[in-house]
Amino acid sequence: MAPLSSTQGDTDQVLTDKNLFVRTLVLNRPRQLNALSSQMISKLLELFLAYEEDSNVKLVIMKGNGRAFCSGGDVAAVVHDINRGNWKIGAKFFWEEYILNYVMATYSKPQVSILNGIVMGGGAGASVHGRFRIATENSVFAMPETALGLFPDVGASYFLSRFPGFFGEYVGLTGARLDGAEMLACGLATHFVPSARLSSLEAALHKLDSSDPAIISAVIDEYSLQPYLKDKSTYHRLDIINRCFSRRTIEEILSTLEREAVKSADDWIFSTIQSLQKASPTSLKISLRSIREGRVQGVGQCLIREYRMVCHVMRGEVSKDFVEGCRAILFDKDKNPKWEPSRLDQLNDSMIDQYFSRVDDEEWEDLKLPARSSYTASALAKL
Amino acid sequence: MEPSLSPSPCLQYSPPELASPPSDFNLSDMRKLMDGHNLQDRDWLFGLMIQSKLFNPRFSGGRVFVSPDYNQSMEQQREMTMKRIHYLLDCGVFQEWLTGRGPEVEMRKFALHEVIGMYDHSLAVKLGVHYFLWGGAIQFFGTKRHHDKWLRDTENYVIKGCFAMTELGHGSNVRGIETVTTYDSKTGEFVINSPCESAQKYWIGGAANHATHTIVFSQLNINGKSEGVHAFIAQIRDTDGNICPNVRVADCGHKIGLNGVDNGRIWFDNVRIPRENLLNSVADVSPDGQYLSAIKDPDQRFAAFLAPLTSGRVTIATSAVYSSKMSLAIAIRYSLTRRAFSITPNQPEVLLLDYPSHQRRLLPLLAKTYAMSFAANYLKMIYVKRTPESNKTIHVVSSAFKAILTWHNMRTLQECREACGGQGLKTENRIGQMKGEYDVQSTFEGDNNILMQQVSKALLAEYIAVQKRNRPFKGLGLEHMNKSCPVIPSQLTSSTLRSSQFQTDIFCLRERDLLIRFAAEMSQLQAQGLSREYALLQSYQLAEDLGRAFSDRAILQTFLDAEAAVSSGPLKSMLSLLRSMHVLIILEEDASFLRYGYLSPDNAAGIRKEVTILCSELRPHALALVSSFGIPDAFLSPIAFNWIDANSWSSVQPQQGATVPL
Repeated sequence: MAPLSSTQGDTDQVLTDKNLFVRTLVLNRPRQLNALSSQMISKLLELFLAYEEDSNVKLVIMKGNGRAFCSGGDVAAVVHDINRGNWKIGAKFFWEEYILNYVMATYSKPQVSILNGIVMGGGAGASVHGRFRIATENSVFAMPETALGLFPDVGASYFLSRFPGFFGEYVGLTGARLDGAEMLACGLATHFVPSARLSSLEAALHKLDSSDPAIISAVIDEYSLQPYLKDKSTYHRLDIINRCFSRRTIEEILSTLEREAVKSADDWIFSTIQSLQKASPTSLKISLRSIREGRVQGVGQCLIREYRMVCHVMRGEVSKDFVEGCRAILFDKDKNPKWEPSRLDQLNDSMIDQYFSRVDDEEWEDLKLPARSSYTASALAKL
Repeated sequence: MEPSLSPSPCLQYSPPELASPPSDFNLSDMRKLMDGHNLQDRDWLFGLMIQSKLFNPRFSGGRVFVSPDYNQSMEQQREMTMKRIHYLLDCGVFQEWLTGRGPEVEMRKFALHEVIGMYDHSLAVKLGVHYFLWGGAIQFFGTKRHHDKWLRDTENYVIKGCFAMTELGHGSNVRGIETVTTYDSKTGEFVINSPCESAQKYWIGGAANHATHTIVFSQLNINGKSEGVHAFIAQIRDTDGNICPNVRVADCGHKIGLNGVDNGRIWFDNVRIPRENLLNSVADVSPDGQYLSAIKDPDQRFAAFLAPLTSGRVTIATSAVYSSKMSLAIAIRYSLTRRAFSITPNQPEVLLLDYPSHQRRLLPLLAKTYAMSFAANYLKMIYVKRTPESNKTIHVVSSAFKAILTWHNMRTLQECREACGGQGLKTENRIGQMKGEYDVQSTFEGDNNILMQQVSKALLAEYIAVQKRNRPFKGLGLEHMNKSCPVIPSQLTSSTLRSSQFQTDIFCLRERDLLIRFAAEMSQLQAQGLSREYALLQSYQLAEDLGRAFSDRAILQTFLDAEAAVSSGPLKSMLSLLRSMHVLIILEEDASFLRYGYLSPDNAAGIRKEVTILCSELRPHALALVSSFGIPDAFLSPIAFNWIDANSWSSVQPQQGATVPL
């Protein structure tokens, strides 16, 4: 294998590797669990666009260095900017990240992401939109945004809403963690490969000279196995999840869960209620609405909406929970955020509506999606 | 140019989004205007259906589509309808449908019912019978004792209701029904009887398989005197689903559509029900058998009984609009991706929607559907804000709009089916199937022709009252009759044709003139000694023209009102373009404008030309206009998207890789 060549820039945050027709991108910020910095996003976008033009590239592999694939976007940096009054720097960060998500979702060549470790938030955005996602026994997936005062973004309103039943609402609202078997079951992963076989799988992929998804899938299939869902897996609870998380509002979801809790003393229901109670009320409400809208929208439309939402979150007109959540979880680590508004009933419809409206700022504009030469069937955006 | 030696390349699907310029109006704003209310509730319900296996999701061309499996037997379709109802019930969709009060609750109910109808008309009709007819009858004809006893259980489907009005021998003529109910003061019971075969209840939705209870419409005979039609509650099945004693039930059998609804027939063999089961808001019978009613006039009493049918007409009219939207969204998306014939050698074939003739087939129907969307929103609004004073207006407007909107829907479905060619014949592409599913709309809850006669009769009565009492017109939008007669310019320029002034004037002129003609013909016939009823029969041609004239004018008014609420900008300009198309196509197609001389032949020719120009102006916006309907992709069909992929060889092979198309 050729030595990994470093990209330009200070810390080699994205490493690239070249094997015939295959390019491998390695997220390389292991001490930050490969959290996506703005340099990394720019670099990935640049590489992805270049590979798309390059007829010598047939396949792009993405993986992470260390125990994470990618733990998310580097929101700590964004919060520093917000605290210095520069929310627009944050807006630029999300703009680029979402454009990268969109390019991946509409990519003309297959992307194989090897999710051998933590995949959270922005890490999901950098992999799930691609054609193949490989989970392993080390995979840990979560969208933890509602605990941070944010909402599942990076196109999550598109992919969460397409999970079976209302599993997406459950995952997106509670921040529940999924293992590799669960990721495969709900469609987040397309394959499950034991980590011990990853190096041989990669070697086999390196020999490919085709972009045909059927051929690539057949190669991965050779290394895949069908993992067993643990007895305690929440995926076995789809019935109760559907019953509760299909409800129209957060309040109704909670009251349905509470009714279920009365029926059966079940730790799972209790901890689910608890994680909803710990999350930012504002985050819960905007997240639910975002997932619901995403269900009937294309990925481009989802990203445009999420960009509006994230700008409102950063501006903090209705709630400053994002700053507070990051303080409590990432900086002070007291794990005791003081949400404001603190209760669901303090949030009326017009406060929620605001997150979905255009931002009232002369310089601000809606996310402009790049024209894409190829649309994949499922990513085609409509209203 | 050298003749090409290379074989022509295979056809490539290119999404309509790629070729269509970005719309200059905002699609979400347009959708908000069209749907009018409860958008989040609608999207929630779309999601509930897309996410459930009960709604028969199928993968095609990398997408998921939901629609019922119409290849199932009638019995299976009926069972699926019930399962879907129970699922939606568990999700809380029907919360407050009967126990809630107020316009907001009613608008939410309408919105959700519309969305359900977009999935499957059977599902909507089955629910409509249970909630709007059975539940509505209890709400409107019943009093507190009925409300307390039945409404909550109905909302939660503890009982399943149906509505037995129509008989084999009597449909629209409800006053002629033959079922007879007498009172037995010894036991304090009513006795319901079907005295002859023609008295069997017919088409009763829910009766064949599921309903446990029914509203029975029957003549009420008290002490040998007929008091006219009254409504009763009777149980027809026990909790185990067995038919009750003295009740016979049979199936109406397989139908041309709506096979997910179990329409049945019911015979009553002296069925005894408690005295309390008379729905007594209008009239009651005392324990000792005395007939009591505050309304002495049997005509008025009967009118009071028909009030709940109004809500049925409101839902039928709106669901017709959503059906038209679905078919147009599918047919127009297909026409933006399907090509046929090259006009010059070696050039690509031409997109269907680039043919002016194809534009002329679909785009006017699109514009009319926009107009009817506003009409339906207006109808819902006056219905939920109803007062005793507005009842007459609601009756007339709902009759007119129900007829016009459902006729429009059937016409749109047929045109869209043909516009999709052979693909339109596939059930999976929905439009063809919907023709069978929606055909009933012109018949149930009032035959369209009879409804339109009622409209012209009501207008005539208004006209005569104004003449007699020498007062101005007030109500039904007839105030324009108080002004001087509008004058139509002899030269109609393009800008005149597109002005709301001209458009309003010509519709008012037609309505005014036809009403005067109708009244004159009636009085002439009556002067010759004909009875009023017989004269009405003879004047059917004018009556029909007048009914249309009233409807067209009223629909245009709803369009103008909706437009006025939008601030200037691309959205408003688009609405004005659509309005012009809507009006001009009526001027072109309705013979009355030439027949009665409201338009000269020259003007008619000018209008025909203007229609082609409007078609070409709407053409670039066609995609945006159907996208603004806000119908989720999953509710459209494979030909609305990549129909080459959906029909590829690999699509008939076992699926590889992900089962969920993320």
